[in-house]
Amino acid sequence: MRKILVANRGEIALRIMRTIRKMGIRSVAVFSEADRHSPHVRFADEAVYLGAPPSNQSYLNGDKIIGICKELGVDGIHPGYGFLSENAEFAQNVEDAGITFIGPNPEAMRIMGSKLAAKESVKKYNVPMVPGIDTAITDVELAKEIGAKIGYPILIKASAGGGGKGMRVVEAPEFMEESMARAISEATSSFGDGSVFIEKYVTSPRHIEVQIIADKHGNVIHGFERECSIQRRHQKVVEESPSAVITPELRKQIGEAAVLVAKSCNYTSMGTVEFLMDDKLNFYFLEMNTRLQVEHPVTEMITGLDLVELQIRIARGEKLDLSQDDLKINGHAIELRVYAEDPFTNFTPSIGTLTRYEKPEGDGVRCDDGYEEGMSIPIYYDPMIAKLIVHAPTRIEAIQKMIKAIKDYKIEGVVTTMPFGVFVMEHVAFISGMFDTHFVKNYYTPEKIKDKQRSNAEAAALVALKYWQDKQKILAPVNHKTTSWKRRLAH
Amino acid sequence: MPAGIFKVKANEFEFQFNQKDIDGADVIKTGEGEFNIIRNGRSVNIQLLEVDATGKNLKVEVEGEFYTMLIRDELDQTLDTLGFNNVSTKQIKEIKAPMPGLVLEVSVEVGQELVEGDRVLILEAMKMENSICIHANAKIKNILVKKGQPVDKNQVLIELE
Repeated sequence: MRKILVANRGEIALRIMRTIRKMGIRSVAVFSEADRHSPHVRFADEAVYLGAPPSNQSYLNGDKIIGICKELGVDGIHPGYGFLSENAEFAQNVEDAGITFIGPNPEAMRIMGSKLAAKESVKKYNVPMVPGIDTAITDVELAKEIGAKIGYPILIKASAGGGGKGMRVVEAPEFMEESMARAISEATSSFGDGSVFIEKYVTSPRHIEVQIIADKHGNVIHGFERECSIQRRHQKVVEESPSAVITPELRKQIGEAAVLVAKSCNYTSMGTVEFLMDDKLNFYFLEMNTRLQVEHPVTEMITGLDLVELQIRIARGEKLDLSQDDLKINGHAIELRVYAEDPFTNFTPSIGTLTRYEKPEGDGVRCDDGYEEGMSIPIYYDPMIAKLIVHAPTRIEAIQKMIKAIKDYKIEGVVTTMPFGVFVMEHVAFISGMFDTHFVKNYYTPEKIKDKQRSNAEAAALVALKYWQDKQKILAPVNHKTTSWKRRLAH
Repeated sequence: MPAGIFKVKANEFEFQFNQKDIDGADVIKTGEGEFNIIRNGRSVNIQLLEVDATGKNLKVEVEGEFYTMLIRDELDQTLDTLGFNNVSTKQIKEIKAPMPGLVLEVSVEVGQELVEGDRVLILEAMKMENSICIHANAKIKNILVKKGQPVDKNQVLIELE
């Protein structure tokens, strides 16, 4: 492979291109009108304009991207995450055009891309699953019947969904109609497929996922678990590896279950098997994400692997030169997703210009970003600014390192999830490891961050007053009668 | 030295101190424009980024966050009360966009009477659909946006009677 096009934007485009360059391969960037100034455009060896800012006119335009590849002699496409990454039809079109799709084979994507097909595929392998229906529905009355049968709360999920989109928790029958309507509409606009299904909502669940690495020669290994329970709006904010509650035996079990899921669909490339884990540490298969995950860096930090490099090598048809026993967990890694979101107004997007932007540095500190000072956050895409990742010998040291790294990360102009990150790192539930996906609902109120800010502001106010008074003393040191004179002279 | 009460605004916060508070504060200088204060047992590092000529407008950094400060001594406070008095008590009856986004659907019509909790429109932001509901009973006076229109944060969407 001599030239790879990265069909994505922002931090992930940049992160993939770094590995491409390291491997001595040329990179091609694509960009929308909103991203002309993005670092990924400048980093690439070649860059091609795609179209207007909305994704469906730019980053989702698969045919145009394939056309660019043919024109520029590109032999591989890396889709990153989001956009076209889990679109089996696109992957098929890429392969049909004689270009290598750096991701799973289209058939595995098709199976795992539909949650119902995925359940069907995994069934015969004895992997535990959450109670629910296994056919897609759109009928509200039928949904209410099923809800009554499996018991509220229930969860409506888009069959083609991901990232919390097209997902609604329904606490009682009277909310079913509105929730179904919104879930179906979101699913239709985000994935072009409005089918949803219903399952029991596991209370107090943890979200644990396992990294899968599978080559085209039938070798499947796992890169251990990632704990992703700290979420807001069903989307992850903090991820870590290893999980604080998983014992070596449980790790072996869940890892083997994940490998079985991958094998059930003849999976190839990087992938992630997601599980729900209840408070008794029973785990249930949730879905498989057929892409490189946002949070893949925590796995890279503890295993020392470059997952993008592996992905490219696998796509080239190389055989894995790693066995399960070769992989060892080294230390602990935590990631914070730094979103342009206001943690004081229920994490609503906070769009603006990065008037000040300084990244943290240091041993074991990694910051994957796609922005620079002076850039603004476009409204058209996911509002993630960066991923801040730390690595330390132990979990408690990693937590301390994260707090330090957040303090060293200077962002002005937009409100970010960083104060929330500090809140999580300092919270006793997080430190103890005893938390679930309801962390935000159970413990978080913006007032707790505000209180700390108020106390910091108060301390700073006293320092400012003292500084001001000292400055005045220098201007008017001796005699009160001459004070105003001297002050006037000084100005 | 001006006596009495000192007011300090720091972003959205406002504090009052007297001379005793200032004199009693345990502040040390740790470097050029760098200070450490111990307050209620907490040790806080403060970095002074900008100061204007009066010394009353400052910008500081505390634990990675930034605060814009304004000091008001007694004289300033007197001037404040003489000059710009409260103009912010005006009640506005309108619905504003809580976030930037795209209007996906306008669910109401001019003249429609709404009860608390009714949905007025759907706003799509970052691929999430958000139902914007009304928090009181009201009648629609004017609809300022239409389907498919992008809106900014705090843009007025609907005026109420």
